[in-house]
Order: sequence, then C-alpha cells, then structure tokens
Amino acid sequence: MEDKKDVSRRDFMKLAIASIGGAIGLALGIPAVAYVVGPALNSKQEQGWIRLGSTTKVEAGVPTLFKAKIQQQTGWITSEEEISAYILSDNGRDYVAMSNVCTHLGCRVRWIAEQNKFFCPCHNGIFDKEGNVVSGPPPRPLNRYDVKVENNELFIMGV
Amino acid sequence: MLIKFADWLDERVGWRQVWEAIFLRKIPKVNWFYTLGSATLFLAINQAVTGILLTIYYVPTPDHAYDSVQYITTQVAMGWLIRGLHHWGASAMVVIVVLHMLRVIFYGAYKYPREVTWMTGVLLLLIVVGFGFTGYLLPWDQKAFWATTVGTRIAGTPPIVGDYLLRIMRGGPELSAVTLARFFGTHIWVLPAALMLLIGIHLYLVIKIGISAVPKKEE
Repeated sequence: MEDKKDVSRRDFMKLAIASIGGAIGLALGIPAVAYVVGPALNSKQEQGWIRLGSTTKVEAGVPTLFKAKIQQQTGWITSEEEISAYILSDNGRDYVAMSNVCTHLGCRVRWIAEQNKFFCPCHNGIFDKEGNVVSGPPPRPLNRYDVKVENNELFIMGV
Repeated sequence: MLIKFADWLDERVGWRQVWEAIFLRKIPKVNWFYTLGSATLFLAINQAVTGILLTIYYVPTPDHAYDSVQYITTQVAMGWLIRGLHHWGASAMVVIVVLHMLRVIFYGAYKYPREVTWMTGVLLLLIVVGFGFTGYLLPWDQKAFWATTVGTRIAGTPPIVGDYLLRIMRGGPELSAVTLARFFGTHIWVLPAALMLLIGIHLYLVIKIGISAVPKKEE
C-alpha cells in the first residue's frame, strides 16, 4: 500500500500533537496577552474645557491655585476627582496655567509665597513662578495647560 | 545545539526518564473512552489559566464584583473569550469528569489494585463540584445570588448540624460580603491547592500502576 515510508506513524503523531498543542497554545496565549495589556493601551479620555473660576481671584504676578472637579472613568469605576492648576498673570490679560504635578516623579508641588518659588516635597525640586526648574532633580519645567478666558471665567483644556 | 542542551540537562536532572515514564509508557489496547481522563486534565489546565487571568480584573466585593465582571466581558480586550472559556470550561469539566467516572465504573477499572486511584478520583469529583458551587456565586448577579441562597439553604437542611453548616458556608445567617469573600477564597486558593495535590496522587498512581485494559466478554 505504501511505497515509501518517509514519515513513520510515530513521527506523524508527534508532529500532529505538537501542531495541535501549539495551535491551542497560541489560540489562548495571544488573547491572554491582549487581555492583560489591553486596558494599558486605552488612551485617556478627553476632558474638554474645564471651568476653573473667576479671573478676579488671580493676583497679578503671583501663581494662584485653582481646583476643579472632573469625572474620571477608571476601569468600571466612575469617580469625581480634583484637578489643580496654578494660574499666573502678569498683566491681567494673558494667563498661564501650570500643572501642579512635579515633572520629576509626579508629586504635587506647592507655591510658597515667602520664597517666591514652587517646592516639591518629595525630592526638593524647586521651580520659579513661571514653572522653570531652579534646582533639584526635575528634568523639565512644569507642564502647562491651554487656557482661555470667557466672560471673566478661566478655563483650561483637560488632557 | 538543542539536542546538546537536552543531553546536558538530562545528564544533570534525568528528565528523559521522567518523560518516558509519563509519555512513553506501555498501555494496553484501549478505546476512546480512555481519553476522558486526559480531557479532564486538559480542561483543568484551561480552568487554571483562564481563572488566573480573570483574577487580574475581578474584585470579590458586593460593590465591585458585578461591575468588574461586566467590565471584563464588555470592555477588556478578549475578556469575553477568557470569561467564556472559564464559564463553558466549568460546565464541560463537570460533564467530562462524570463521564470519566462512568467509564471507570463500567469497565471495572476501580478494582484491585486501583482502589486508591478511585478514591482520589471520588475526592476530585467532589472538588470539581465544589469549584462549580463556589464559582457560581462570583459574578454576583441575580442568578448567582439566589442559586447560592438555595444551595446554602439545602446545606442547612440536616437536623442538628444543618444550621451550623449554613452559617459556616455563609459566614453568618445571611448571604453577604462575607459569603462572597469566602467563596472566592475557597474557589481560588483552597480548592486549587487540594485539586493539585490530588491530581498529583491520581496521576502518579495511573502511571505507577498502569491503566486497566478493556474487560473481556467472559470476565
């Protein structure tokens, strides 16, 4: 019946088992990786313009802290979170909005009026009032938000 | 290269002997019913892998259990597949395990010298049922809640000890967060540990004693 026996029954079985096993492994392994990694790849949802408050609260030449509530969806939990930004205006017309998140490792910086500087409590990062690094480990100036004024109300672009 | 490494490793750990004992052992001429045990093992591994994956997102508390399961099913990439495999694998496991047991009964494979294999098998069946019972509550939906209400109430029917049994299972008189937490702990720690131990013994005995042949007509 068979002229030549290139592949023995045993070898055929070996090959079949290895291929079927490999196929099952891939069919579960690839989805498993997607499943574990998936949520990490979701981009952060856009917040749009976030209303901070009245421009009259901003003192000229001094960074002023504003806080706003935003809705955040993390996993299956929708929560309200507070976002903070320092607003600086030298002339009462042009506004700069700075994030209060230290560019080193993400702690929150605080404006210390007496020293005229931002201080980060974690690793002594120090920024000037415009958010430029004065000393310490931070690699970059404080991040800035896009900012706009409408009817004397300040808005920042949530990202 | 690969063969050299295999030889190197074999010289040090003797894996070929183990390999031969497991996969190249002599077996009598048998039929497809004799694959049910292997099928069960395959399903058990499937349940373990998908179960571990589910714990990455699942949270066993009343305020998060249902939502986290919905999140897995609808939001997470391939979550529907992982949950589906665990869900259907669980049902398949019960069915296949019972068929496996029926094969052993009808072919008389439980007889000398395989009594201990049989006994561990019976315990394994109980563990599988335990898995099914505890796992059923975890999605924390209406079906889960009421099925467990009924199931624990049934456990409460024997005289004298019944009420204690019910309270121990529920962790109190009512089905609550305590119940969910202990069912989860049992499902992912207690039962898997017991399962692995017993599968170890069960398989050791299968390999050590060898499987039974199909009984002949006159026997």
